[in-house]
Amino acid sequence: MTRADRILILLVVCAMPFLYLHLWFGNGPATFVQILNGSSAPVTEPLQPDRMLRVAGALGESIIEVRNGRARFVRSPCTTKVCVQSGWLTSAGEFAACLPNRISLALVGQDPRFDAINF
Amino acid sequence: MIEQLTRLGYLLLILGAGGCSTQKDPVFHDQFFAFGTLIDITLYGAELPLAESVCKQIEQDFVNMHASWHAWQPGQLSSLNSQLSGAGAGTVEPSFLPLLDEANGLSLLSEGLFNPVLGNLIALWGFHDNALPVGTLPDSTAIRDLLVQAPSVNDIHIDGTLISSRNPTVAYDLGGFAKGYAIDRAIDRLRESGIHNAIVNAGGDLRAIGQHGERPWRIGIRHPRESSIIASIEISGDNSVFTSGDYERFFEVDGKRYHHIIDPRTGYPAINTTSVTVIHSNAATADAATTALFVAGPDEWLSIALKMGISYVMLIDNQGIIHMNPAMQSRIHLEPGINAEIRLSTPLQ
Repeated sequence: MTRADRILILLVVCAMPFLYLHLWFGNGPATFVQILNGSSAPVTEPLQPDRMLRVAGALGESIIEVRNGRARFVRSPCTTKVCVQSGWLTSAGEFAACLPNRISLALVGQDPRFDAINF
Repeated sequence: MIEQLTRLGYLLLILGAGGCSTQKDPVFHDQFFAFGTLIDITLYGAELPLAESVCKQIEQDFVNMHASWHAWQPGQLSSLNSQLSGAGAGTVEPSFLPLLDEANGLSLLSEGLFNPVLGNLIALWGFHDNALPVGTLPDSTAIRDLLVQAPSVNDIHIDGTLISSRNPTVAYDLGGFAKGYAIDRAIDRLRESGIHNAIVNAGGDLRAIGQHGERPWRIGIRHPRESSIIASIEISGDNSVFTSGDYERFFEVDGKRYHHIIDPRTGYPAINTTSVTVIHSNAATADAATTALFVAGPDEWLSIALKMGISYVMLIDNQGIIHMNPAMQSRIHLEPGINAEIRLSTPLQ
């Protein structure tokens, strides 16, 4: 066994705990934003390319921005603007909703870290 | 060196393959709006036609329950409230009685901190409207007048389907309970249909049964002050996870937050708690308990949890200190980087 082999084995052994945690529990990057509008079937949009999505809800139009693999409410016709204040959704499992306008966003990825979010 | 890198690549590929699967996704999702929030149903391993038809039934159940139990729109509950106002009496459908019985019983266990007959006070604060008040607070005299009358479930008498009240200010508002009760009914329907691995999530409050294939269900608990996750738990079997927080429905006046969880003792939003998370098998109990423990605050939550038969509690106070019982600490996994002070209580069991 050469010195390089020993370094290689050491590297792999050191990487194993990280890989285990990352592959089984890691919050993988989001690849899609799922948009639910009222009782319609959810619409899944890719997080690339950057663009603005306009969705007509119960009260009016909500504008959703998709940029750099993230998504957020930019504008919505509700009074509280909680949805807009939620800011950017960046990881799979994150969620924002404009309940008055009955529109929600949820980021989804290939390997979501959680099956559900409690809040 | 290239050879070593190639070997490393193969090893990483082998390790990484453990997280891959070529099987068809056995998870079924359905979402709809009810109770003013998003209802999300996740099923594992259910056949598609059955999953679709059961979720449609559950959606219809939720829509019916919401319409019937709505606190301020025409329905069975508002009709009952009209009849009870002025210390009157009214009849309800037999199917309505278990809901009222369970709510009243939980209120007594919580020593009135979960109070389902505070509808007039909740309305006074402006929470009986989809649009929250802007820049206005309720009249303090009106709050005081209601507190003097002290509406409580002890004022209610149930005789068959006849409900009567001896207190003119009693008005049901099942906001801290109905969602949990509805989730329990949804779980009943899933089980009756032969589905035993599922999560029913109503706006972030959920009950999970069974598990996700060979592993438990993984539930993330959102941080009350950030958009990130503060902790997680795993569920195999049957558990509800409910959180009440001051961030859910609130408005601000002069920079001060006024949220929807009203302390029945003061008539004002409870001030010492930021969020309470409860794990319990029954969703309706968990729902009522989070409200009661939020109101109880960091000094009294333990005694109320004992009375309500709650075994797992995490309370974050207004200083960011995390209070929990030892069983909850052994069950919950705080996220890396959460450096808040943790205060462990005596055991709840």
